[in-house]
Amino acid sequence: MIYLFQILNGVGLGMLYFLLAVGLSVIFGLLQFVNFAHGAFYLLGAYLTYDLVSRGFDFWLAMPIATLIVAGLAALVEVLLLRRIYNLPHSFHILVTVGLALVVQEVTIILWGPLGGSVPAPDGLQGVVILGNFVYPEYRLFTIAFTAVLAGLLWWLLEGTRLGAIVRAGSESHSNMALLGYDTLRINTAVFGFGAGLAGLAGALAAPIRGVEPFMGAEALAIAFVVVVIGGMGSYTGALVAGILVGVIQSLMTTLWPEGARLMIYVAMALVIALRPRGLLGRA
Amino acid sequence: MSRRVLAADDGLRIGVPVPISGAYAANGKYATMGAQMAAEVVSKASGKQVSTLDLDTEGKPAVAVRKVQDAMAQNGVKLFAGGILSSESLAMGKEVDRGQGVFMTTAGADEITGVDCNRATFRWSVPTYGAINQTVRPLINLLPNAKKWYTITPQYVFGEGLLKAAKDIFAEKGIQHVGNSYHSLTDKEFSGYLTNAMAAQPDVLLLLNFGSQSSDTLRQAISFGMKKRMAILVAWASGLEQFEALGADVCEGIYFGAQYWHTADTPFNRDIVPKVREKYGSSPNYSFVGSYICSKLLLDGAVKAGSTDGPAVAKALEGLSYEGPTGREEIRAADHQVIKDYYLLKGKAKSAMKDKDDFAEILSSGKSFLSPEQAGCKMPA
Repeated sequence: MIYLFQILNGVGLGMLYFLLAVGLSVIFGLLQFVNFAHGAFYLLGAYLTYDLVSRGFDFWLAMPIATLIVAGLAALVEVLLLRRIYNLPHSFHILVTVGLALVVQEVTIILWGPLGGSVPAPDGLQGVVILGNFVYPEYRLFTIAFTAVLAGLLWWLLEGTRLGAIVRAGSESHSNMALLGYDTLRINTAVFGFGAGLAGLAGALAAPIRGVEPFMGAEALAIAFVVVVIGGMGSYTGALVAGILVGVIQSLMTTLWPEGARLMIYVAMALVIALRPRGLLGRA
Repeated sequence: MSRRVLAADDGLRIGVPVPISGAYAANGKYATMGAQMAAEVVSKASGKQVSTLDLDTEGKPAVAVRKVQDAMAQNGVKLFAGGILSSESLAMGKEVDRGQGVFMTTAGADEITGVDCNRATFRWSVPTYGAINQTVRPLINLLPNAKKWYTITPQYVFGEGLLKAAKDIFAEKGIQHVGNSYHSLTDKEFSGYLTNAMAAQPDVLLLLNFGSQSSDTLRQAISFGMKKRMAILVAWASGLEQFEALGADVCEGIYFGAQYWHTADTPFNRDIVPKVREKYGSSPNYSFVGSYICSKLLLDGAVKAGSTDGPAVAKALEGLSYEGPTGREEIRAADHQVIKDYYLLKGKAKSAMKDKDDFAEILSSGKSFLSPEQAGCKMPA
């Protein structure tokens, strides 16, 4: 019974991890750009939600506003900074995005202080669902359902719409897309803003579960990388499968071998790299 | 490294090795403020120029040791007040001892003034043994029907110390220890551990972790509705800074162990609380006061000894009795442990708070210490 419950908990965690990682994966897929500032956008999403809720905004309003602000800021960063370095070696990408992450973290401390804070679960979702001997927070159930719906929408957006076709085509060949007359600069900006916005949304959703503190971005980035590496860079389905896999492994291990719960995530990643270097669903 | 100089020439200088970045940066930030205030007070009282040297340990023992080595070799610093984590404090104490300096810390592992005690190292805070005895024992008395306890423990020297002390009391009092979950120092997601705890159906959930990890565990435990199903005790809370981050809604009804609380009626608090409120707009917290008192004791010791040389300052401090943050405090000569009160607090409802810092009431306080022999301290000659 406890294992079933840990699996449920792991799926809940995994859906958050998926949301965190899918933006990173989509950005890499189109731009061939590893965004080390992804955790910083997650951090910003969480802090903006915290700030808005502290000012009296309803969570349901704060969450989309925070997400949109993060997406807007990310698009601005792409225009002002990142598009200048796409053609440079990866070391420049790392340098600039790690620097950006540090700046965001320090600005967060300047604006909101080093202490962190709590975000209450929204009204109506503050209770728990009782399942026999176990209880599960209503808000966590909401995040599972919400992220599942979002995952469906994202899949439809990427696989079933013209916009998705453009993004997928772009990830195959940027230059051909430009030859066909598409404004690749604008598409890059939109995709980067969209991917970072998903990280911001993950931060907003996580705030009532984890609270906020200035160093939460680094941990989120580490998890996002693990998920993307296991799932396969640029693979939407890979991010979903790997997100849930990582969440379930982490949760199950807290019962089977608590000391090694975190370690096993990285063991899983190492195994996948050894057996399938491009990830479970990565493209050859 | 940043250096704050109070006057033009180099008089007394104290190194403040604390985490200024990383997960424990909030504690480090207040610690540097506390040390700075101590420097100002000692400077005014002694007429000497006093400066502080902030050393960012990042909460990592290796970094802490390197920073302390550099401060000794390059800046000639002999006095050190800091170390938030036990692992870094143990490492720094040994290094300062080698460099003929003196080090005072607030970290909790029993070993610091126990089996690893040395001539250079002093500790202001109550170690894990006292923290557990002053929280678990009174709570058992307060909740006589709560017979089943579950523990969540960070797997390093500090957590192990707390767990061992708790297990000893459980055995003595006939408490059933229905389970323990270990976690690493990097964990942020505790829902899996809490699921294990719920499955064991305890009457009390005892959190033995510290800082942001105990805050994360507490937040997530409350979201799982555990506050309504069992009592929750955080054995080693950071006090005010942690309560501010958690908010009154989370703290309400939770039991907390604390090294310091600003509403305790002591001469020290009557003096310092208004001063800190005037200067910083909020009441002093544990990190601030812990660093303040460690710095002040070392600086006073150096003034009294007329030297910053470690053995001379240590001699001036051994056996000292003074008005400290928790009342009358004494530095035990045999193991360099400060004998002082530890508090059991209970979080107040938001509606019961008299001011923005009035998060908790004091349920009990007292002194519990192993003797130097029991703690295993064999002070090197």
